[in-house]
Amino acid sequence: MDRNQLNKWLKTPAKMGHKYSLHAVYFCTGCGIIEVPPSITARWDAERFGVLPVATPRQANLFLITGYVSVKTLRAIIRTYEQMPEPKFTVGFGSCPINGGMYWDSYNTIKHLDKYIPVDGWIAGCMPRPEAIFVAVTHLWTLIDKDMADGYKRYRKNYQAYRENQERALGKLEWPPLFSIGGKG
Amino acid sequence: MQIIAMILSPILALIIGIFFLGLSRKMMARIHWRYGPPWTQPIIDIIRLFSQKSVTHGHLFNLGLILSLAGSIVVILFIPVGRIHPLSDSGGMLVILYMLLLAPLGLALSGGEAANPNTSIGISRQLILALGYEVPLLLILLALMTHYETISIVEIVFRQQYAGWALLSSPLVLSGIGYISIMPAILGIRPFEVVQAPQEISSGPMVEYGGPYLALATIQHALNLFIGIALFVNLFLGGAGNPLFFFIKMLVVFVLGIFINAALPRLRIEQAVQYLWRWPTLLALVGLIVVIVMKSVSAG
Amino acid sequence: MSLELLLAAAFGGSLLTYLLGKISSGLRDGFAVFVSVILVAMIAGLYGKIGAVTSYYHFMGLELTLRISPLSWFFAMAVSTLGALSVIFSLSYMRDRERTDFYYLMMLLINASMLGIVFSGDLVSFFIFWEMMSWSTFLLISYNRGSALAAGMKYIVFSIIGSMAMLIGMLSLYAVYQTVNIYMLSNLVSSASPGYLLFLLIVFGTAFAIKNAIMPLHTWLPDAYAEAPSPFTAVLSGMLTRMGVYGFLMIMYVIIGSVQTLNMGYGLLKFNYILAWLGAVTIVIPTFIAMLQNDAKKLLAWHGIGQGGYMVLGIAYGTNLGLAGGIFHTLNHAIYIVLLFMSVAAVQYRTGGERDLNSMGGLIKKMPIAFIGALFGISGLIGLPLTNGFVSKWLIYKTLILNGSPFLAFTALIGTWGTILSVYKFLHNLFLGQLPEKYKDIKKSPVNMQIPIVILSLTILLFGILPGLPLKVINSIIASFGFKSLNVTLWGIVSETGSLNTINLFAAILTGCVIIWLILKTGPKSVSASQENTYAAGASIPEGKYHYTVDFYNPFYRMIKPYLKDFMDIFYFKLAGWTQTLCNIVRKTYTGYVGHYVTYIVLFLAVLIFMQLKWSLW
Ligand code: SF4
Repeated sequence: MDRNQLNKWLKTPAKMGHKYSLHAVYFCTGCGIIEVPPSITARWDAERFGVLPVATPRQANLFLITGYVSVKTLRAIIRTYEQMPEPKFTVGFGSCPINGGMYWDSYNTIKHLDKYIPVDGWIAGCMPRPEAIFVAVTHLWTLIDKDMADGYKRYRKNYQAYRENQERALGKLEWPPLFSIGGKG
Repeated sequence: MQIIAMILSPILALIIGIFFLGLSRKMMARIHWRYGPPWTQPIIDIIRLFSQKSVTHGHLFNLGLILSLAGSIVVILFIPVGRIHPLSDSGGMLVILYMLLLAPLGLALSGGEAANPNTSIGISRQLILALGYEVPLLLILLALMTHYETISIVEIVFRQQYAGWALLSSPLVLSGIGYISIMPAILGIRPFEVVQAPQEISSGPMVEYGGPYLALATIQHALNLFIGIALFVNLFLGGAGNPLFFFIKMLVVFVLGIFINAALPRLRIEQAVQYLWRWPTLLALVGLIVVIVMKSVSAG
Repeated sequence: MSLELLLAAAFGGSLLTYLLGKISSGLRDGFAVFVSVILVAMIAGLYGKIGAVTSYYHFMGLELTLRISPLSWFFAMAVSTLGALSVIFSLSYMRDRERTDFYYLMMLLINASMLGIVFSGDLVSFFIFWEMMSWSTFLLISYNRGSALAAGMKYIVFSIIGSMAMLIGMLSLYAVYQTVNIYMLSNLVSSASPGYLLFLLIVFGTAFAIKNAIMPLHTWLPDAYAEAPSPFTAVLSGMLTRMGVYGFLMIMYVIIGSVQTLNMGYGLLKFNYILAWLGAVTIVIPTFIAMLQNDAKKLLAWHGIGQGGYMVLGIAYGTNLGLAGGIFHTLNHAIYIVLLFMSVAAVQYRTGGERDLNSMGGLIKKMPIAFIGALFGISGLIGLPLTNGFVSKWLIYKTLILNGSPFLAFTALIGTWGTILSVYKFLHNLFLGQLPEKYKDIKKSPVNMQIPIVILSLTILLFGILPGLPLKVINSIIASFGFKSLNVTLWGIVSETGSLNTINLFAAILTGCVIIWLILKTGPKSVSASQENTYAAGASIPEGKYHYTVDFYNPFYRMIKPYLKDFMDIFYFKLAGWTQTLCNIVRKTYTGYVGHYVTYIVLFLAVLIFMQLKWSLW
């Protein structure tokens, strides 16, 4: 650990902690998940970056959306995202969450994930290699350093719009709003 | 002096426990042929968790966790670390045995209020497992206490420093082996990792903990690692004259534990209890009978 | 204050309560509380007046007496206090029931007869009060009718067997020594032959073992506890059943005396050793059966049996530590089991008599006081440090270990771990987890239920942190039995072989809790989440069905279930069945024809003549 690093640890421990301890919810949405097991096991070893899959959103701060998002999955994604404690970061994985990918004309998938929940970074490709995940992680580090991974703040700020989008796609949601709608939140 | 010891021993335990957590992750990685996280990773995790906002499910949710952690800390005050044992003269082994209950019970109360079935399943497994290893453990401890004719752990350590390790002394060998065979269950590592079981029940009692709660739960886990190993070192390896030797003994035991952990898959809960009630219990029972017989022979 | 006045107040108060009930129910309630509270005050005033003997009646040449000893004061205090709390608790529980006058009459009568038992100075009064207690108990157990009647029958059958055994013992004592006065007997009996003493111990022991529900004489208890009205179950479990412990103490250490009792038999077949093993069996088996129960009151009832085992174990072991532990445990058990039954009753009161553990949950948010009661109760039952149960168990364990009985110690210790499993299930299924939809608008328990619960919870903590308070009295009891008294301080026990210091423990736990709480406070503030907001793999929660209660320890059940039937109960039922069949066969001979009867008589005479001719018997 060089002197620069140490300085940063002392100045902004929380930020550094988040950088080097990204715990991802183990949530599989589409075919992209197939690349996650190799990247967390012996071949690519994500743990050396501090990335570790955890079983519940309460313990996580990273959400990897791995692949196409069907309407039914979206409901679970929103619920899980809202149950993660702040600060939290989302990364869309594969072209499907970005713009629909090869499901661009499907009746049953949503095309732009960032309409429904805020996304901090994207990994393009169909499907991306595990190396790409690590590139994304290092990019996320830079973003966290520069305070630009602020999806959770945007969610809070524009909650009304997000909620409206969600209800347009899913109909009435059965859980109460996370933040008070209309107010500042 | 007493006060310094009281502050020192939990801090020492915390440092050792967290070091063990980090070490275990690193060593597991190396055994898996991975590079692994830095050994400071648990500290990074705890810092991160303390900066995260969490949800709470009510007062008991907080209180249970606090109680369980406090219970672990008090147990540490009773366990001699080297020569540091600030509280051990106010109750002895029996208090340790009962204080050990506070940790799982506090977590159980806290988890119960979380109103999540995963927690309930986890807790039910935890209590069953505790009953499972408690049967041989009690027999082993009774053998020790009968052999040394005392209920004070300090006395047991003291006697061993003159008469040699209990693990190597003739009537207690069986009990010692019994203790080794249930140690993974006491520490909650594989093959007895049924309580957390992230893949089955979303890490069981921890499922609703996030942020500071999870940080405290991690600390608790670290302390429990410490307690489990420290008890073994004190009871069977003769404790130590100073904290450094004590730490070295603990380290050796722990590294052996990690090898078991890395090599074995997880048992189902019934299989775990069946195992615990078969061989370790048999060993412990025979051990206790041997101790009693030796005693009556030497007395009469 | 003389003892006759006390008992007159107790018995008169109960009758007067009944009469007042005919006038107005408010008056009756007030008077019932007044009587029971005044009794507590009167008994508290008797503290230290040891040895006062009053003779109150002459009956067929026998002098009936009352007297106070440290033991009787100790039991009387517990009886009257818990009785008063139960009466206060009953006020709203019984409000809209039928036959409430009768209920209060019986409740106070039982209270009074228990006081009579502990204060009686001779065996005849002891027996009379004992019978009064048994019969009023029978009436109250079957108060709810239906299945309660069967439970009451079971109780009274066992009780009568016990009383008969006791009567035999009493008659033989009277025949031999011409006196029934306990103190005179204790001087006379010490010179009796060991065989006679053993006979006495067995006949009296049977009576008290039935009352104290020691295996294998326990089977009346679970049904009786479950079916009796809950506030009365509290009294029944707390003190009434423990009159058996009082009886054991009386016969073993007062009448026969410690020296004789502890030297009866040879080697491993000593009387007290066998009794201790019975106690140990009584600890283990019921505790594991309790795990299988799904009825809140039945679960507690099985624990009542199990905890009785600790008392017998401590008393029968016959060391000063064990005896102190056993007596102290009687008090502790009374406190927390009463508390637990009160919590269940509070829940029952609000949920309409529901006591099925599988259908409730989440009541902590709605009934916090009842929850606190249950929490303290189970902590005491487990014997967590800082609760009273811990101290008494510590005493018992210590003597078992240091006096070289590791297997007895093992059974006692493993009983504790079994207890944890079942009481956690009890707490979890009632109060934790998801609140079912139908209990959404449930209200808090009424004030008069909260008061006893809070008082008892605080007592558990008080006796756990300062066990010296009751232990001082207990010390004088064991000194009066001729044992070496313990070195008791206000916060523990000092001895060379390991002392206990609860105040240190308390300080350590408190400091630990405060520090951790502060750490938790310094972190970011947490948001409170409702019970719908729990992680369910992203799905939303189905309302009212999201609570894991049924078969809580299922994997474990599958392992132990085949071994844990209540074999004794089945055996007794079989026995009853066989007797009935036998009687049926005998009944067949009563055909109703005169001719047959004449034949029987002729046959009988023929047999007699044959016997006389053959063996010339008379
Ligand atoms: S981007 Fe490709 S690999 Fe990923 S979900 Fe879409 S189709 Fe599957």
